[in-house]
Amino acid sequence: MISPERAPVGDRAKADPSVIFSEVSKFYGEVLGVNRVTLNIPPGITSLVGPNGSGKTTLMNMMTGLIFPDHGSILVRGISPRDPETLMRITGYATQYDTAPRWATGFTFITTGLALFGFARSEAEERAWKALERVSLTEAANRKVAAYSKGMRQRVRLAQAIAHDPDVLVLDEPLNGLDPLVRAETIDLFRNWAANGKHVIISSHVLQEVDLISDQVILIANGMIVAEGKIRDVRDEIQEHPSQYIVRCRDRNASGVAAELFREEHITEIKLHDDQLGMLVMTRDREQFARALGRIALDGHRIESVVPADENVDALYEYLIGGES
Amino acid sequence: MNPRSFGIRARQAWTIAKIELRRAFFAKRSLWVYALALLPAVIFFGHGLDAKLRMDRLTRRGVTTPELIDSVQVGERLEDVKTRLGKPNGEYGGVQNRRVRQRTGNAGTTTHLIEPPVEARFVRLNIGRPTYSGEPIARIYEFEVYGPDGRVNLALNRPATGTAPCAPDQGPEKAVNGSVAAGPGDRWCAQDRPLFLQVDLGASRPVTRFVVKHASAGGENEQSDTREFNIQLSGEGKSFTTVASSSGVGFVEERTEYRELGYFDGRREAGFHFVDGKLQGRRINHLLNFEEDRTIFSGIFQYFYLRLAIFFGCLGIFMNLFRAEMSNRTLHFWLLAPARREVLLAGKYAAGLIASAVIFGGGALLTFAAMLWPHDAVEVSSYWNASGMSHMFWYATAAVLGCVGYGSVFLAVGLYVRNPIIPAAVLLAWEGINGILPHMLQKMSVLYYLQSLCPVPAPFDDDTPVVIQLLAAPAAPASGPGAILGLLLLTAFVLWIAALAVRRMQISYGAET
Repeated sequence: MISPERAPVGDRAKADPSVIFSEVSKFYGEVLGVNRVTLNIPPGITSLVGPNGSGKTTLMNMMTGLIFPDHGSILVRGISPRDPETLMRITGYATQYDTAPRWATGFTFITTGLALFGFARSEAEERAWKALERVSLTEAANRKVAAYSKGMRQRVRLAQAIAHDPDVLVLDEPLNGLDPLVRAETIDLFRNWAANGKHVIISSHVLQEVDLISDQVILIANGMIVAEGKIRDVRDEIQEHPSQYIVRCRDRNASGVAAELFREEHITEIKLHDDQLGMLVMTRDREQFARALGRIALDGHRIESVVPADENVDALYEYLIGGES
Repeated sequence: MNPRSFGIRARQAWTIAKIELRRAFFAKRSLWVYALALLPAVIFFGHGLDAKLRMDRLTRRGVTTPELIDSVQVGERLEDVKTRLGKPNGEYGGVQNRRVRQRTGNAGTTTHLIEPPVEARFVRLNIGRPTYSGEPIARIYEFEVYGPDGRVNLALNRPATGTAPCAPDQGPEKAVNGSVAAGPGDRWCAQDRPLFLQVDLGASRPVTRFVVKHASAGGENEQSDTREFNIQLSGEGKSFTTVASSSGVGFVEERTEYRELGYFDGRREAGFHFVDGKLQGRRINHLLNFEEDRTIFSGIFQYFYLRLAIFFGCLGIFMNLFRAEMSNRTLHFWLLAPARREVLLAGKYAAGLIASAVIFGGGALLTFAAMLWPHDAVEVSSYWNASGMSHMFWYATAAVLGCVGYGSVFLAVGLYVRNPIIPAAVLLAWEGINGILPHMLQKMSVLYYLQSLCPVPAPFDDDTPVVIQLLAAPAAPASGPGAILGLLLLTAFVLWIAALAVRRMQISYGAET
C-alpha cells in the first residue's frame, strides 16, 4: 500500500490559501439557490449564517463539488471543485445528510473513506481511531451508523471529515444535536484546527451559536450575502439593532410604567396590551433600558417580569437585510 | 507515487468495487436475480432427477433388450408379443362399451317396400329428425320411386317441391336428378319446418318400392344421415296416406377390449397398445435423450437465459448501482472521495460485473452440469472430449459477455433516467428485432454478438414462423473473436456515454438549498 501523495496539492494551496467564490450563481430549475456570490474566505474559522433555505448548504456543496454552479467559478486553495481527485485530499466535508451506507459501522465508515486516500490499512485504522477519539465516539465505533442517535451520526460525520487531516474543513450545521459537553469539545477542535492555519467553514442558522468562535462571519439570506467580515464588525451592526422586550406589571399599572419609560431617549416605541398589565417596548440601548427599569421599580412601580422578545435570529436578519428575509 | 497515476486510480476503483460487491450480491432486491439465473439449472436438475427415479423404478420391474422392443410390429397378437418379450413391467387394460350406430354397409341408402303396390301420383317424404348428430338440417341426395317392374325410377327428373332449400343450388330438384356424386351441390338441403320433399310422378302409377339416399351416400358424415322419416302417397296431392316409416338406422352396443403393455430396455420406455388382442400402436419414449437435452439446453440458453434472465438480471444489478444510492441519500459518500468520477464509475461497474458474471456465468455452468448429470457416463465422456468442453466454455463466455454488454447499457441508463420500465421495454424490443435489422444496426445490439458466440444454433421446429426465426437468430453471425471484439467495443462506447453523465452528476436528494 502506498502513502497518500500530498506534495503537489500542498504547493498549489500555498500559492493561494483562500477559498474564492467569483460571481457564483446556482439555480434549482427556476428556484434560486444562490445569486452572484463573491467571497474570499481566508484561513481561520468562518461561519456561514443564515435562516433555513438561505443558501448555506448550496455554497458548501458547490465548494466540495457535490453540485456545480450555473455561473461563476470557485477555487478552494487554488483547486477547482471539478477536480475531486485533488480537492478532496485537502478537504473534509461533514454534510448534513443524515445517512450513511447500510453496511457501515462508525469505524468502517471512516476506514473505507481513508482507503480511498491510499492509506495503508494499519494507518487508516490508526487515523480512524484517532478521529473517533477526538469526537468521543470510540465506544460506539463498532456499531452500525444506522443505529446511532442523531448526535452520534453528527459526530461520526465530523470524524470522517477530519480523519485525513484536511486543510479545509467544511461542516454543515456541525453543532446540531450535540449535548453541551460534546459541543464544547467540538468547538475546541475547530479552534485547534484553525490555529494551524487551516480553513474551518461552518454553517449555522443560529448566530449566537457561532458568535464566540468565529474569526469571520458571512450572513446569507435568500441566496445573497447580506453581511460579511470580521465578527466584531458584524457584532457592531447587531448592537445597533433595536431590541424588543415584553414588560409585565402588577396592579394594572402598565400605562404608568409606559409613561416613565417614554421619558427615556433610547426608547423608540411602546405598545400597551389590552389587559393593562403588559407592554411591548423597543429600545436602542439595552443597558440604559435595564437601568431605567431599575429606577422605575425603585419609584414604587411594581414590575412583574421583563422578557426579551427578539432573541431569534430571524429578527436580526430582518433588521440586517431591511425586512426582505 | 503520483495520486493521478493509473495504479492509484485502479486501486481506488478496486476499493470501491469491493465495497459495492456487497450491494450487488446481497441486496434483498437481488433475490429475483438469483432466481432468474438458477431457474434453468433447477429445471434440468428436476428433469434429470425425474428420469433417474423413473429409470430406477422401471429397472426394478424388469428390463428387456432394445432389439426385442424394436421387433414388435403393428398387427401382432398380444399373446405373441408377451411370449417373445416376456413379462411386461406394466400392463393395463379394460373394456370399453359404447352405443354406436348400427352399420348396415349400405353407405347411407335405405330401401322401403310396400306390398301390395299402391296407385299414386304424388309421393311425399316427411322428415321428423333430420340427423343423428342433432343438427336440424335435412340432406337428401336422391329419392327414388319404383313400380312393380322395379327397373324404372318413376321419380327421376319429375317435378319436385319441398321445404325451402338452404341454398339456391340445393333445391328439391336435386333429389330427383339421378346423381349423388357432385357433393353438396347434388343434394336437397332444408332446415325450415315442416321438412318435406314431394314428387309429382305425372300420372297415377302403381308404386311398391322407395330408395332414399342420405347424407353419407353423398360423401358426408354418417352423423348427418336422416334419422326419422316417413313416406306418404296421394292420388290428387291433397290427402296423403302413410305407407312406410323409418327411424333410420338403429344403435347397437359396441364392445372393445384394449390393453397396454409396457417394456423398458434400460433407456427407452415402450408402450404397446392392443385393441381386441391386436397391436394397434406403439409409443417409444426416450427417458433420457442426450441429443434432445443438448438441443433444449441451447434453446433455453438463447431464448431464456440471454434474452431474458441476463437482460433483466443486469437491469436489476446495474441500474441500482447509482440510482439506489441516490434514493438512499448515500451517493455523496463516494462523490466526496478523492477520486475521479470515472474511477467511481469503473469501481461500481466492476462490482456489478463481478457479481453478475459470477451469478450468470455460474448459473450457465450449473445448468450445463445439470443437463449432463443424468446421462450415461460413456456418452457424456465422448461428447465432452469431442466438443462438450468447448461448448461449455462458449456458453459461459457468452453469459459473462452478456453481463459485460448489458451491464454497461443498464449502468448508463441508470445514470440518465430514473424509471427503468420504459428504457427496459425499448431495449428489449431493440434486442428482439435484432434479426430483422440491417446488418450495420445489428452490430448495435448486444444480443447480436452473444448469439454469434453460442456454439449450437437455436433450435427451430419446422413450423416455426419465418418472423420468429428472423427474430431469434442473427442474419449474419460474426466470428468468435469478431463477436468478442465487437461487444467490447460496443461496451466501451456505452461506458464512455455513462462517463459523460457521471462527470455531470450532482447530488439532488431533495429540496435542500
